[in-house]
Amino acid sequence: MTLTDALARPRPRDAGHASPMSLWRLLWLELRRNAMPWMFPLLAALFVFDAFRSAMGYGPFWDLRASALENKLLPDFVAFVAGVAAWMGSRDSRRRTRDLVDATARPRWTAQLTTWAATTLWVAAGFLCCVAVLYGVTASQATWGGPPWWPVAVCLAELALMSALGFAVGTFFPSRFTAPLAAVGAFLLSLEGFRNAVGRSSAYALLSPTTYVPDDDTGLFHHYLPDVSIAQLMFLIGLTMVALAILGLRRAADAGPQLRRAAAVIAVAGLAAAGTAIGLIGTARTQAYGTVIPALHDAANDRPIPYTPVCSQAAGVPVCVHPAYRNFLPDVTAALAPVLREIASLPGAPARVDQVVVNDLIPSNGAAITGVPPVFRLPMPATPDETSFGQNAVSFTSYLQATLVTVFVVGAHGFVTLGPVGGTPAQQAVVLALLQKARTATQTGSGPGNGSHTKADQVAAAARRFAALPATTRHAWLAAHLATLRAGDITLAQLP
Amino acid sequence: MTAAGLQKPEPRAEASRPRGLLHHPGLRLVRLHLASRRIPGALAALALCALVLRAGLSWHWSLGNGNGAQQVPVLIEAGAASIIAVTAQSPFGDPERATGRWLPYLRLGTAVGLTAAAFAAMAAGATADHLPGGTLDILRNTAGMTGIGLLLAAVTGGALAWTGPMAYMIVAQIGLIGDWTSPWVWPARPPHDLGAGLCAGLVFAAGIVVATVRGARAVREI
Repeated sequence: MTLTDALARPRPRDAGHASPMSLWRLLWLELRRNAMPWMFPLLAALFVFDAFRSAMGYGPFWDLRASALENKLLPDFVAFVAGVAAWMGSRDSRRRTRDLVDATARPRWTAQLTTWAATTLWVAAGFLCCVAVLYGVTASQATWGGPPWWPVAVCLAELALMSALGFAVGTFFPSRFTAPLAAVGAFLLSLEGFRNAVGRSSAYALLSPTTYVPDDDTGLFHHYLPDVSIAQLMFLIGLTMVALAILGLRRAADAGPQLRRAAAVIAVAGLAAAGTAIGLIGTARTQAYGTVIPALHDAANDRPIPYTPVCSQAAGVPVCVHPAYRNFLPDVTAALAPVLREIASLPGAPARVDQVVVNDLIPSNGAAITGVPPVFRLPMPATPDETSFGQNAVSFTSYLQATLVTVFVVGAHGFVTLGPVGGTPAQQAVVLALLQKARTATQTGSGPGNGSHTKADQVAAAARRFAALPATTRHAWLAAHLATLRAGDITLAQLP
Repeated sequence: MTAAGLQKPEPRAEASRPRGLLHHPGLRLVRLHLASRRIPGALAALALCALVLRAGLSWHWSLGNGNGAQQVPVLIEAGAASIIAVTAQSPFGDPERATGRWLPYLRLGTAVGLTAAAFAAMAAGATADHLPGGTLDILRNTAGMTGIGLLLAAVTGGALAWTGPMAYMIVAQIGLIGDWTSPWVWPARPPHDLGAGLCAGLVFAAGIVVATVRGARAVREI
C-alpha cells in the first residue's frame, strides 16, 4: 500500500483555506523548474529560419505577415510544446516522487494544473516574443493598417491545447518515451490540419488554425472577419478545458468531492464550447472577402475600409493603388506601361487603372474593364517578393501584363483557374502577340476544346505572325476587328 | 580486545556458479544494461511508430505526391530516431561510467541494434502501401536523424535529446516543400542521391562514435 492508495482523512471544518500566496509560490517554483526555457534557443532558431524568413518574404501587409504565425510558427511550436508538456506531466512518476507530493497539502490536481500553467506560461512568453519581433519589424515597413490580434489569440489557444494534451498524456503514460511520441502526435495533428486545409473542401477543416490562408490584401479593403477565429477559439479552449478536467476526475488526482465536481463542470462546459464551435463552423460560408459564420458575424465588418488611393501615370494612363501598396506602385506602372502603349486609343482601352480587392470566388479574382470611360479594375493577389509562394519581379510583371491583355482581348471569362488563358485560338494568338510586343514571354494557350500540341503550335505561329506586323498595321487591324475578335467570330486563318 | 585477538574468519564458501545461459554474467550484464535503457519500452514505441506509418500510408495522410508524400514518413522516422536518442539516458550517471568496463561496447550495441530495429519496424510499416523513396530512404533518413539525436544526447543529456531529430524534421519538412537540393537536408533528396547518403551516413557515424565513447551527458533531470 502506498500513500496514494491510503484513504484521505476528512478535512476539518475549522481548517482555513490555503493561502493564495502559497499557490503563487508553487507557480513560481514550477516556473523555475520548467523544461520549456531549454527549448527557447531551438525555437528561436526555427523562428528565424522558418516563420520570420517567410514572413519577411511577403509584402509588408499586416494580415499577410500575421498568416506566418498560424501557417509557419505554430506548427514549429506544437511538437516541442506537446513534448515538453508530456515531459513535465510525467515528472513525478518518472522521478518516483508521486507518493511524496501526494502527501502535500495541495490536492494533486491543483499541483498538476500549476505545473501545466507554468509550462503554458513559458510557451506563451516564447511565442509572444516571436510575435513581438515579427510585428515590430512589420510596423517599421507597413504603410497601412495595424497588427491583427485574432491570429495571435488563436495560436495561443492552440498552444494551450497542445500543452494540455501533452501534459495529460504524460500524466497517464509516464515514460521517457512519452515526450517524443507526444511531439510526433502533435506534429501529425498539425500536418493533418494543413492537409485538410489545402486538400478538402469540408467546412469543418476550418477548425484547424492552419486552415486560414489569407489573400494578400486581407484587411486592406475590407475588415478582417473574425468569425472563424472566434469559432476556433471556442473549439480550442473547450478542448483544453476537457483535457485539464480529465486530470481532475481521476482518483489519483486526490481532488476531493468539491474539486471533482468542479472538474466535471469544467469538462461539461468544455465539451459544450467545443460542440458549439463545431456546430457553428458547419454553418460557415465563403464569401468574396472572407469566411462568414452567420451567428457570429458582425455586419459592421462588411463595410469597406475608406482610403485615399495613391496614383501615378503609366503611358499617360492614371494608375491608382491602395496606400498599402505604395511601395509597389513603380513596379505596377512599369509593368503596365508597355501594354497600355500597345492598346492605346483602341476601343475599350482603359483610361484609368484602379486596384480592387481580390475576389477569390471567380477565376479572374475580380479583374475587369468596366465603365465609361473604361477603367481597368486590377486585383493584386501577390506582390513582387522573393518567397516560395510569392512572385519575383519578373513573374509579377508578367502577371500584371497578362491580366490586362487577357481582360482587354478576351474579357474576364478568359481566365481559367490554374491554367493558361482561355478564349478562342484567335483571341489567344492576339493575347500572345500583344504580350510579345510588351516583351513578356508567356505560355502558349490551349483554350477549351483545343488542347492538342498542334493547335497550340498554330496559335503560337499566328501570334508570331501578328506580332511581326508593323505597329501601325497591327493597330489599325485591331481598331477595325476588335469587336469581332472579342465576340469570338474570327478564326486563326483570318488573322493577318 | 586488540586486533591480534581476533580470529581470522573462515574462508567463504565458493559462490555457486550461475546455472543456465540467462544467468551467464555477460548476458546478465547485457540484460541489465538494456533494462536500464528501457529497451523493451523503446521497442514497443518503435512498433507504435511502425503502426502509425502503416496507418498513414493506408489512409493516405500525406500531402499529394512527390515530396509532399514524404512528409508523414519523415515525421515518423524522426519519431523513431527520437526514441533511440532518449534511450541513451543512463539512470546511474557517473558511477556507471566509473565501473563499467564494457559500457562503450554496450552503448555501441544498443545504438546500432535499436537503429536496425527502427529500420526493420519502419520497413515493415511501409509495406502497407507504396512508400515514395522506398526502404533505402527509410534507412538513410532514420540513420541520419538517429545520429543527430545521439550527438545531442552527448551535449544536453538523453532526456531532451528527442528535440534534435524533431528540430531537424521541421527543417526537412520545409526542405521537402521547397525542393531543397542541399545534401545536408537528406530527406528532401532522392534515395539514390550519393551526397545525401554520405551526409546522413557521416552524421550517423559521428553519433554512434560519440554515443560509444562518451554516452549521453549526465545532467540533473528536470
